[in-house]
Amino acid sequence: MESVTPQHFLVLAFLLFAVGFLGVVIRRNLLLVLMSLELMLNGVNIALVSFSRTSLNLDGSLFVFFIMTVAATEVAVGLALLVALYKRRQSVFSEDISLLKN
Amino acid sequence: MQTVAFSILLLPLFSAFITLIFLRRFGNIASLLSVATSGGILVFALYLIFNDAGEVYSWQATWMKMAGWELGFGFLIDGPARLLLFVVSFVGFLIHVFSLGYMADDDAKARYFGGLSIFMFSMIGITLADNLIMIFVFWELVGFSSYLLIAHYLTTEDAASASRKAFIVNRIGDFGFLIGIVLTYWAFGTVNLLELADLVDFDPSLVTTFLGLLLACGFIGKSAQFPLHVWLPDAMAGPTPVSALIHAATMVAAGIFLLVRIDFMFTEQVLSLLAILGAGMGLYAGFCALVQRDIKKILAYSTLSQLGYMAAAFGLGMPGLALFHLMTHAFFKALMFLGSGSVIHACHHEQDIFKYGGLRKNMPVTALTFLVGVFAISGVNFLSGYFSKDAILLSAYNLNMPIFVILYSGAILTALYMFRLYFITFEGIARSSEASRARENGALMTGPLIILAILAIFGGYHSLFPFSIVESIIPDIESVASMPNHLWMVFLGTFAWIVGVIVAKNFYGRVRETDPLSEKLPTFFELCKSKLFFDEIYSFYVSRIQDPFTRFLEVMELLFISGLMVRGTAGVAGLFALLGKVCYIGKIHAYTFWFVAGTIGFLAYAVGIFGN
Repeated sequence: MESVTPQHFLVLAFLLFAVGFLGVVIRRNLLLVLMSLELMLNGVNIALVSFSRTSLNLDGSLFVFFIMTVAATEVAVGLALLVALYKRRQSVFSEDISLLKN
Repeated sequence: MQTVAFSILLLPLFSAFITLIFLRRFGNIASLLSVATSGGILVFALYLIFNDAGEVYSWQATWMKMAGWELGFGFLIDGPARLLLFVVSFVGFLIHVFSLGYMADDDAKARYFGGLSIFMFSMIGITLADNLIMIFVFWELVGFSSYLLIAHYLTTEDAASASRKAFIVNRIGDFGFLIGIVLTYWAFGTVNLLELADLVDFDPSLVTTFLGLLLACGFIGKSAQFPLHVWLPDAMAGPTPVSALIHAATMVAAGIFLLVRIDFMFTEQVLSLLAILGAGMGLYAGFCALVQRDIKKILAYSTLSQLGYMAAAFGLGMPGLALFHLMTHAFFKALMFLGSGSVIHACHHEQDIFKYGGLRKNMPVTALTFLVGVFAISGVNFLSGYFSKDAILLSAYNLNMPIFVILYSGAILTALYMFRLYFITFEGIARSSEASRARENGALMTGPLIILAILAIFGGYHSLFPFSIVESIIPDIESVASMPNHLWMVFLGTFAWIVGVIVAKNFYGRVRETDPLSEKLPTFFELCKSKLFFDEIYSFYVSRIQDPFTRFLEVMELLFISGLMVRGTAGVAGLFALLGKVCYIGKIHAYTFWFVAGTIGFLAYAVGIFGN
């Protein structure tokens, strides 16, 4: 049985990032867009952890903590914005939010 | 001494400034301030004239400095400057006093007297200036104040267009003058009058005819000589004291003063051209004056003619005689203008001489002083005009016969049209209700008339004046005195004015409301009336040649500057904006996609995928 190499982690990270990116680009529901963003961040986290492991220092892992903290606050703010938005416009779909265009 | 020079220069400016800021609504205070200012100018001027009499005083400082180019500011007080300073301050003071009476019930007194103060400032600037650029600056300022004062009755169309005309015609002359100044600086490396005189003295070949002609343009514009004489008769739309001060005694004489200041810059050719132009103007303006009905226009043409005499004297190489005639002319012409102002004021602004008549009984002081002026300008023996004009005639007789013939015909004509004016206005019977009800004006107006009349009688005896005023004219007077044919000239001069009186008396002694000349010699009358069509030729030129040319330029401007350059560059920027707008589609997904694609592209570039 083959051992798990850093390449595997990178492929996983890329797949997670790609899924997240597709979600952001394709989904119209802003809640799902927000979740996809989290997915992208976690893909990056996995890549950072694997780099940290390969290069035998903690810089990458340190970054992961930062990213997780920032992601948590971002979700908090983002969800709050979404709730406020829904209260005002009764919708969380991106095509309904185009004040600047018109 | 320079403190006094600065004071005399800045005092009227200060007064005009005060009037402008604080006194616009207080006409009476403004007029008193202005008269007091002109009195102060007179005092300072007398100090400047008599302090260090007979010496050339010069003082200068750097005004501005730019990369090897230095502009000076300074005073040059020599003989001619002292003479003009005397004329400007003395006649100016009398005219200020006269204005108090003449403008007593004017609505815009503050504007009028402020304008007079600005004029005094500019005129004194010309008198004292020691370099050509400074002269030019004040030259423009007198043009501006003349514009301001001609347009005093600004609600009338006449005054508005006359002030514009005066300004624009002057601009044409000043343009040549400015080019002349620039070329002078180019050729000599300086515009200071004393330095220029030294340089020319050192190397007379530096002076060229072309340069002289350009500098003479300034004189031709300001002194209203051919072919730029058309503005002066129209300028009579201004108040009469202004005509007396600016358009008879001082500003138009500044042209002569300029010539005298830079007389070393003129070659023989320029001088003879000036002599011919001057003599021609002396005759031409006489014919024009002969048929005018407006009292002020007659005097305006007479001014043109007398300025022609001065130019002729200068052209004959007698600048001293030109200055002498400038001084006596300032006295008797200011006298006659103020006299006409007195008549106009008494007749409620009626200016047609055929509506006057018999004013001698109603206005004895005005009539008598006016008669003195008429005698003086006609060259009646032993009055001021007799000495100055006959000196010019005698020097012309001995130096240049054709010029003499023209000038002498002009002299007969002068006597004729001046006595015509006198007889029609003051003798006979009143031809309108205004004239019959006219009353003599108060002492404010008759006082200056009497003083000027005294000067018009005795102004020709140059030995009566203090030496420092007349020092610049004495050499030329002495050289005329040593010329032959004096007795013959006395005879000719006396003959000229007596012919003038007799013809005028017979022709105009008893007139009705039409000009007798128009019935007896209609063709000649019409020819004189047309003034040789100069106005028509100029308006033809403006409307048929200049206007189409400006329209052509306007089209070019629309096409190239406003079209191609302004709109063109804006269009290029707009094109980029259109391109950018295509990407702005209002879908957050697309923006995200392009953002990530851009980031990836940037990273790819950073690791060198596109090659480095």
